Amino acid sequence: MVIVGLIFLSVGLFAQGNDDLSPQRKQAIDSLALEKVRDLSKYISIIGNKDTPWSEAQRVIERAVELFMPGSEMGVSSLSRPEVHYYKLREYFDRLMQLNYDRVVIDWYKIQYVSDLERQPDGTYVGVITVFQRFQGYDKEKGLVYEDTTKKDITVYVKRKETQIGGRLIGFWDVLLGDIRVKETSK
Amino acid sequence: MTKIVNRLKFVNWQHFVVITLIAVVAMSFDSCKSSGKLTNKEKKAQIEMYKKKMKEIINGTTTLSLEDQEALIAEAINKNFGDEKLNDLILKAQQVTKKAYAAFEKDNQAKVAAARNKLFDLLVNKQNLSADQLEDEMNKIKALNLGNTEIDELLERLEKKIGEMRGYNTMEMKLKDKIESIFQSIVDASKAGNTSMANSRIDAVLNYFSAPDVPVLIIISREGSIVDYDKPTTIQDYLNFLKDQKENRNNLDSYELDDAGKIKVLDLIKK
Repeated sequence: MVIVGLIFLSVGLFAQGNDDLSPQRKQAIDSLALEKVRDLSKYISIIGNKDTPWSEAQRVIERAVELFMPGSEMGVSSLSRPEVHYYKLREYFDRLMQLNYDRVVIDWYKIQYVSDLERQPDGTYVGVITVFQRFQGYDKEKGLVYEDTTKKDITVYVKRKETQIGGRLIGFWDVLLGDIRVKETSK
Repeated sequence: MTKIVNRLKFVNWQHFVVITLIAVVAMSFDSCKSSGKLTNKEKKAQIEMYKKKMKEIINGTTTLSLEDQEALIAEAINKNFGDEKLNDLILKAQQVTKKAYAAFEKDNQAKVAAARNKLFDLLVNKQNLSADQLEDEMNKIKALNLGNTEIDELLERLEKKIGEMRGYNTMEMKLKDKIESIFQSIVDASKAGNTSMANSRIDAVLNYFSAPDVPVLIIISREGSIVDYDKPTTIQDYLNFLKDQKENRNNLDSYELDDAGKIKVLDLIKK
């Protein structure tokens, strides 16, 4: 059995009255975008977890990268230096896997919109979601050796597309994350 | 020779001439009829009749079907009356029928597209209709008499599905419950940190699907006829997603089976 046509046809938001989304539909895409950020937070936690087998981490990296617009970057900060480093997503995940701690715990919380999804002239909805990331690095003998909390802003792009699956025309919302910018880092 | 000459002398020549004349007139009358030659009066009457019919087509007051209109126009052209006014009316009537055909075709195409979408929805039974309700919907589409092979094939598939539902309704219910229960067990195993158990549940549930790349569609919103989906994924990726996210956010909405009774398209819906 082969999937009958997963041909993604990028069409604007003009089909099915998307210019004027009902509150219910708007709510659905708002939630969908938030959900993608929550998905990412789980993926980051799996990739950073030292107990995750290498092959499994690689699979999860692939899934995490799929959430982003090509070329997106992740900001990384540290209490030990003032500047923020930006890495391409794949490089960021590779570095995350190889962090020099015996145990890493990464937790995202207070995931919410700071800028609502707004329709752009090309039909894409763009918004900004903010998250707080708590990072904890443990040493086998010394226990918790590093901890910080970072506020990060994530730009989200949501666009309606259509695809044909088994002869059915499916209208779906493609949510892609953009750059993740560090806003502040504290202990 | 002498005998023949004598016989000719006895022929009643007057009688012979009369019979011959009658035969000639009769023959000429018959040949005139079969070659379609008309008297001027008849020709004029026919021209008027065709003019009237053409005007009815042009004005849209005709009661003839489109096919009959076309046949009538062809008939008028073939008669070749050589009447300028009639020829002009024939041209106009031709344009009218051509437009009517185009409109009919457009309307038919729209009906076919709507029927196709409806049939696909019925095939995956989005609204969880009973076999009887599905049959009612199917009969409505059949009544449209669209004469389209694709629609006919879809109707055939739907008919088969309805038959299967009537025969195996209980089995299908069990399958739905079974799939949902395995999805939940993947989440539970992963939450408990038992990755190998989650993986073995993934392998087990894949047996219910035609292939690991069977499409999975997740409905995020349904408002009237507008259905919004999340980005389509595959069953293999969706099962790993359940394991990774440790959360079961969707209910099973509908599915489509292949000939072997395995799921070939799965529709989920946000809880």
